[in-house]
Amino acid sequence: MLVKPTARQRAACESPAETIDFDRLVRDLDDGECVVRRRAARDLGEIAAAGPHLVGRLAIETEPSARAAILSALIRLRSVEVVDGLVAFLRSEDVGLRNAVIEALQEMPEEALPSLRLLLTDSDSDVRIFAVNILNGLCHPGMVPCLVEVIATDSHVNVCMAAVDGLAEAGDVEAIPPLAALARRFADVPFVAFAVAAATRRIRGH
Amino acid sequence: MGSPSRQTSASDSSLTPDEYQKFCEFFYRKTGILFNDKKGYFVDRRIAERIEKTGSECFRDYFALLRFQASGAEWQELVNVMTVNETYFLREDYQFEALVRGMLPELVGKRGIGDTVRIWSAPCSTGEEPYSIAIYILENWKRSDDFAIEILASDIDSKVLAAAQLGIFGERSIQRLSPTLRRKYFTSLGDDRFQIIRELRESIDFARINVVDKSHMSRYSKIDVIFCRNLLIYFDDMSRRETVELMYECLTPGGFICLGHSESMSRISSLFVPRKFGDTIVYQKAPTAN
Repeated sequence: MLVKPTARQRAACESPAETIDFDRLVRDLDDGECVVRRRAARDLGEIAAAGPHLVGRLAIETEPSARAAILSALIRLRSVEVVDGLVAFLRSEDVGLRNAVIEALQEMPEEALPSLRLLLTDSDSDVRIFAVNILNGLCHPGMVPCLVEVIATDSHVNVCMAAVDGLAEAGDVEAIPPLAALARRFADVPFVAFAVAAATRRIRGH
Repeated sequence: MGSPSRQTSASDSSLTPDEYQKFCEFFYRKTGILFNDKKGYFVDRRIAERIEKTGSECFRDYFALLRFQASGAEWQELVNVMTVNETYFLREDYQFEALVRGMLPELVGKRGIGDTVRIWSAPCSTGEEPYSIAIYILENWKRSDDFAIEILASDIDSKVLAAAQLGIFGERSIQRLSPTLRRKYFTSLGDDRFQIIRELRESIDFARINVVDKSHMSRYSKIDVIFCRNLLIYFDDMSRRETVELMYECLTPGGFICLGHSESMSRISSLFVPRKFGDTIVYQKAPTAN
């Protein structure tokens, strides 16, 4: 049967308003109860000084729901320091964490761009591919010159191909000559010419 | 997705086939909504309108605005015009079928007679959805008398909440209801206006809730099923993510979220497990979740 909750029942399921106690929230990040850690992360997402604590917890947090709450809090805090903290996780062997961090970095384009530029010079081609993939989804016009730079200079064909994907969507006609140069640079790799032709067609719009 | 064979003409399109495909891929990546060739005219018309309204010179300019505008305001405008929603009784009723045939039987498996089942409609708009849920359960769930079923309905807009509580609907809104159901649950007011019977109006718990506000959301807990259809698509990425995480908090372990047919949780969060009941996919919080 349909029943309407009484005021008493409703009050019972309402949480009392709590005052923010920074030190307690930081302690709660390490609580044994996941729900407490999530709540702490959510509240810390409103305190700028909480960034390092959240990043520190993210490094050891294994519960997906708490991890999600921490990442949401870090996105809310968005700063260059937060980005620097997150970028370290791109080298993680934990695929789920890495992907979640990629999504989080895409949510803070202004703050992430300088760090991503730096990552494009990393000696590890996998890290450069991650950086390009983040750039591809970035809502920031600065991503296009970065991708153009990648196709002009990066020695690894897979890094360049990832950048071609991004330019196909976001590039303008100025990207077409560098794309042509890329095809010449990797003339011995057939799929490069194919990808460049497809991206060029997409950029021209016909 | 637009196919390479799609043709354009001056009369129906401002987009070339490649532009159309580029737009559709982008829109799909961001929303999960797929436009096929049959939607070409619909898409072209709306993009042409937005190009004009934003003062963009061509599709390329407009696409750059969509792609890079920091505020995301134009993106939101475009989503609004691409996803015109209309609410009416028993809309997407295959989800109500999934509710009574799949979700509820699973949820009450270990519960005793008289225990509470809590269902939340957010946003409830003018009430069509929560009343539809109530009617569907009463009509189609054999165990509806065994449990105390609470239906919570919330919206951020106090005007639509007032209308929902009044429960007066036009012919168009109730056109999918059989004459039997109309007689059983409505009182005719004349002039093609029908009011939900008082017992039903008084059994729904209406409240003004902003789903992105954690203090508002903390009012709800132990929810078994949340109907959150065609709402998240209007949010920016951050709000969508936070809302889903707050809803996760509100749900009981094993509880479900039902999204609109064009929405997908996989683009928002990995916290939920997709479950298929009949023709519909819903999203479940792990029964073992803390």
